[in-house]
Amino acid sequence: MARILCIHVLALAAVLEAATLRPAMAGEFSSSLRSQGLARQTATTGPLAQAHALYDGIAADQPSEGAVQLQLQGSAQWAGLQWHGDVLAQARGSAGGPGSTQVAGLEAYAAGQAGAWQWTAGRKVVGWDVGYGFRPNDLVQQEQRRTLVSQPLQGRPVLMAEQFGAESAWSLVAVNPTTGRDAMGIREPALAARWYQRVGSADTYAFARWGRRTQGSVGAAWAWVASDTLELHASLRHMERFDAWEDTSTQLAALSPASPWRPVLRQGVQQALVGGTWTNAKQVSVLMEAWWDGAAPSRTHWRQWAERNAALQRLGAAGAPPTAVAANLAWQTQAFSASPSLHRRNLFARLAWTTGAWECALDLLYHPADSGRLYTASLAWKGDRLRLEGGLRASAGPGASVVRQLPVQRQAYVQAVWVLN
Amino acid sequence: MFLALGKNPAQLLGLVVAALTGPALAQDAEALLRDADRYRTGADNLRVDTLVQAYTSDGTLERERRYTVFAQSDRRTLVLMQSAAEKGQKVLMLGDDFWLLMPSSQRPMRITPMQKLLGDASTGDIATMRWSGDYSATLVGLEPCVDATVPTGAATVIQTTPPTSCYHLQLQAMRKGVTYQRIALWLGQQRHEPVRAQLYVQSDKLAKQALFEVDQALSSVSAMVLIDPLGKQKQTRIRYLARKERTVPVEWLNPMFLARSPVLE
Repeated sequence: MARILCIHVLALAAVLEAATLRPAMAGEFSSSLRSQGLARQTATTGPLAQAHALYDGIAADQPSEGAVQLQLQGSAQWAGLQWHGDVLAQARGSAGGPGSTQVAGLEAYAAGQAGAWQWTAGRKVVGWDVGYGFRPNDLVQQEQRRTLVSQPLQGRPVLMAEQFGAESAWSLVAVNPTTGRDAMGIREPALAARWYQRVGSADTYAFARWGRRTQGSVGAAWAWVASDTLELHASLRHMERFDAWEDTSTQLAALSPASPWRPVLRQGVQQALVGGTWTNAKQVSVLMEAWWDGAAPSRTHWRQWAERNAALQRLGAAGAPPTAVAANLAWQTQAFSASPSLHRRNLFARLAWTTGAWECALDLLYHPADSGRLYTASLAWKGDRLRLEGGLRASAGPGASVVRQLPVQRQAYVQAVWVLN
Repeated sequence: MFLALGKNPAQLLGLVVAALTGPALAQDAEALLRDADRYRTGADNLRVDTLVQAYTSDGTLERERRYTVFAQSDRRTLVLMQSAAEKGQKVLMLGDDFWLLMPSSQRPMRITPMQKLLGDASTGDIATMRWSGDYSATLVGLEPCVDATVPTGAATVIQTTPPTSCYHLQLQAMRKGVTYQRIALWLGQQRHEPVRAQLYVQSDKLAKQALFEVDQALSSVSAMVLIDPLGKQKQTRIRYLARKERTVPVEWLNPMFLARSPVLE
């Protein structure tokens, strides 16, 4: 708690310092106001809907929500160092629930130079890898991809040293250096390294990571401008171990007194992505990507999951306690957040067109394993300081596909962003 | 062949004259181009503060953007977006290779030459400060400078005494990453300052017309007005507010360094 408070205070102090720069200092300050609303339509199918049918209110739905956010960013050169702070103050409200206010330090760091090395210490967003829909080598930030409404990223605590040549760079990062050794996922303490080399019209990268729990992983990525209109990219990672969630139910049709989902460490897995972007003179752009996520649940896993859903429903129909059946069905939804990808094989396509101040886009995430599809359409208008956008996302495909089991089947959003200075 | 020419001395004389004057004209064209570049740059390594103003067809100011351009030798350019709406965005150009850095993503993105070209005043328009080295020049001849078919528009402030006679040069791209494939360029006959240009893309379609404004001292180009021949004659004025010699540290031209969000100037 004290550490979180300390980060917020540091971030705020850095922003205020930058905002009230003395003339002798170089610095930048910016602020923006964001207002957004997200409407969600709860599914009438899937395990959560079945749970609610048995016992209304057994688990929290994802309600529609709205938020107003003020973001302040400042950078300044002082005492031979660069200081940077990024603070987000927000008020949130959800349908049928209480509102809340929060101030979060998104970034707060100091950076300097020691000999040939540049160092950074503090909370910082460090984004790696070359893909759009999936980034296996995003070893530090581990950013959630394809979110419907874009949100400002919160950096990770890092100690970082970097060296830059004319066409090459080294980055060495200790991420989450102060968290406990059993921390999982994005909070896992780890050492990460990136090597970059420009090779003509291509960028090449090599990556390595050592996590306390997950141990070693290595990766490589590549981005190449193949012609005036076409960019191609690829990314590959091998992990010695990875964190996953596993259903520990001993019997398919047995009721569990507590959530059967437990974190487990799995062995040896690969992730890979290939993709490309084509843009023409009329500002039409097509992005296509295909990726394999070996850390995602397998087809066998989803088949067993569906069988358990069916078995739990049969238990309910046979007179088992509705509360227990409903709770077990609700726990089944934990499978959706077990991995960044729902399936191992994924295809993604995005078509966008910009004309004047307007941009419209349509994208599709397709799962060949069960023909499930996620469609997203958006329209944005960009003025001098104001950006307005709105969009829809909907699940489609066979009734048995995984995306059709998600607790939310349709979502719509509107967002306005004012750049204040 | 020789026999045939021997029977026609006038044809032979014509060929000799062409052989002698052809290279001289080509050399003149390259020299003219270097002279024109001096009005736009003045040094190998530069910092240029730029204001881009986009006007509607009736002359109303639609949008204004500020940029800092570090134009360095060997076709290396860094463009920093300075307006509030684009603050923190950067475009790095190293020869025919381009990267876009967005403040929200913290990672450099490779962009294609086509993506560099898009917009009223593309990044290529803002960052391109030299023609020589990127284009081969051919002298077409002497022509009147003013083209009545090119509208000057309400937004423009063209130099007070435009020259009457201009050298017409045809520029052909020698590299794949340049913004325009072909340029028809008119330079003042006396001082060789750029007066106007027609800018053609890969498909040889006329993308924009350009008019150049020269400062009071007649020493440098103070603004370039771009006219979109298709988009209802919309105009974009690129004003060069300040130029000074500036050689940037080598790491500034590394996309991975720029992804650190350093405070540059």
